[in-house]
Amino acid sequence: MIKNYLLLALKVLRRKPFYTFISLFGISFTLMILMLITSMGDALFGANKPMSEVDRMVFLPALSRYTQFYDTIYTIDSVLMDDGTMRYDSTFDTEEIGSNNSDGSMSYHFITEYLHGLSDVSEATAFSPSSFVDGYLDGRKVTFRTYYTDGNYWNVFDFNFLHGLPYGKDDVDGGNQIAVLTDKAATEYFGEASDDVIGREVTLGDRTYRVGGIVARPLKDDPTIQGDVYLPVTTMDRRALDAKTLEGSFSAVFLATSPGKRESIKKQLEFLAENFVMPPEEDYEEIALYPGTATEVFAGGIMQERDYDLAKMMFFIPLFLLLFLFLALPLINLINLNVSRVYERKSEIAVRKAFGARSADILYQFIFENLVLTFIGGAIGLILAFFVIRAVNANDLIGIVRLSFSFKVFFYFIVVIVLFGLLSGLLPALRMSRTNIGTALR
Amino acid sequence: MIELNNISKSYRTDTIETLALQHMNLSVPAGEFLSIMGPSGCGKSTLLNIMGLIDEPSEGTVVLAGREVTDYNGSKVARFRNEQLGFIFQSFHLINDLSVVDNVELPLLYRKLGGKERRRLALEALARVGLSNRATHFPNQLSGGQKQRVAIARAIVGKPNIILADEPTGNLDSHMGGEIMDILTRLNKDLGTTIVMVTHDERMAKRTHRLVRLSDGERVS
Repeated sequence: MIKNYLLLALKVLRRKPFYTFISLFGISFTLMILMLITSMGDALFGANKPMSEVDRMVFLPALSRYTQFYDTIYTIDSVLMDDGTMRYDSTFDTEEIGSNNSDGSMSYHFITEYLHGLSDVSEATAFSPSSFVDGYLDGRKVTFRTYYTDGNYWNVFDFNFLHGLPYGKDDVDGGNQIAVLTDKAATEYFGEASDDVIGREVTLGDRTYRVGGIVARPLKDDPTIQGDVYLPVTTMDRRALDAKTLEGSFSAVFLATSPGKRESIKKQLEFLAENFVMPPEEDYEEIALYPGTATEVFAGGIMQERDYDLAKMMFFIPLFLLLFLFLALPLINLINLNVSRVYERKSEIAVRKAFGARSADILYQFIFENLVLTFIGGAIGLILAFFVIRAVNANDLIGIVRLSFSFKVFFYFIVVIVLFGLLSGLLPALRMSRTNIGTALR
Repeated sequence: MIELNNISKSYRTDTIETLALQHMNLSVPAGEFLSIMGPSGCGKSTLLNIMGLIDEPSEGTVVLAGREVTDYNGSKVARFRNEQLGFIFQSFHLINDLSVVDNVELPLLYRKLGGKERRRLALEALARVGLSNRATHFPNQLSGGQKQRVAIARAIVGKPNIILADEPTGNLDSHMGGEIMDILTRLNKDLGTTIVMVTHDERMAKRTHRLVRLSDGERVS
């Protein structure tokens, strides 16, 4: 039966080459774009190394300090009295006329002093991302994006160590000058990223470090992991590290004991901010913290919105609407094409029913045929996507982000194909399965 | 084999009610080759459709192969058609995308049969209508008479008890029409299949056991 349906489906496709071309073009192009989008979504938000535990992470990129201004407004009434004298009466009112706020990264002092000891946290890390440090070798200068991190950084983020090891808490406490390089940085500096590089010296700024490990460059454009070189926090400028101010150059990430516990950590941080007693030397009166999940911080950053729920809505609703429209247009087109295609086969359907096909058999047959069509379109889309992804990666068209064909993306792809096939075939098939034999054969 | 008791059929639109059949009684014993004649619009096809469970009567009961089938619907009627009935149409209604043997196999697709068994039965049916050498051809490579022979093979492949033929020679010249009648007569004789045939052609009708004439939805003979 299936073989018969398959043969017929292929014959029907061959019978109308132009129709088949239009359908396949629509399907394969749409599916290729979808493949790119899912691949990009996976690269941005997926649980891939070094953020395999992203579902348990709470990000705290910054701290907000603010002060509200009040002003006193005097109102003076003057009344000319009968005796020619002037009487004055004054009232005053105080009201808020504005606020002053400052957003920025946190100091190492603030994170280590105030943000420790939270419950439901299995690991927490403080790190200072994105300072640019020059490396020198044989009179050659290479600029690296440098991250100063604590030892826990390597427990929170599971970097793929190609060679060597990360530095640990003891190295950080001892101020050991050990560097972890990405394979790209190692190749740029040493000309290779092999085991031989481990233990060699790298001069960064005015310090010389020993290479402790080489990691695969993270293929995610995320400010928490996107470094070329990672150094122990204790080897950075001591004045910046020891400053007792609240603002600095550090961010923090907390790893919850389970994904569900992230809310608890966020609540604790918000509570902490609300009840924070401002040190007297600060110019501001209060602080606010905006901890969030990866998607929340991402959407908040793009939409410049601190209310993460609102930010997610502002970011994702238009995105999904756009995606829906993008899917709906070819889908409607395909349904339309399918309706006219099956209409031409009315007599075949009537004959099948006359010889014992149930409505369900007709339904299965047309859905099957449509699935064959979408699977062929899907295969073409997959090949197209493969080449487009290769071109995107080769030319760094979306920055550092590397799109890939993971099993997960492939799985989404199959789901989309099946959904596409079912949705575009169901309506015409349903209509045709109800064909009245007598009228169709007249 | 076929019992139509007091069958009436009317078609209703918003304003008009058309009576296609009126209080029709007809009994066709097993093994009979019956022809139905009458002018266009007299209800011949409606009668055949009711016998083939393609249309439901507005009134009356239908008994086929000893079973009261008037209320059959859904998969029950599909199964009954598949096992008991074979159809032959004036304009053949072959599926052009399928080869001759695949067309003949079609009724067997809706039975629990393996591919090899289906193929064997289809080739056997094709041999019976003398078209074994055309098994792998496609319908558009065949003449009208050959197409109708394929349609007959398709109708008999499932070994039904009843064959309903709606003007099977209507689109053929008299020579080819004669050949088709030869095959149908032989089927009726050899296999004992009950055949009901609607026709406009007196010569064809004369070759059957009995002729029923209709006029304005009523039996006149």
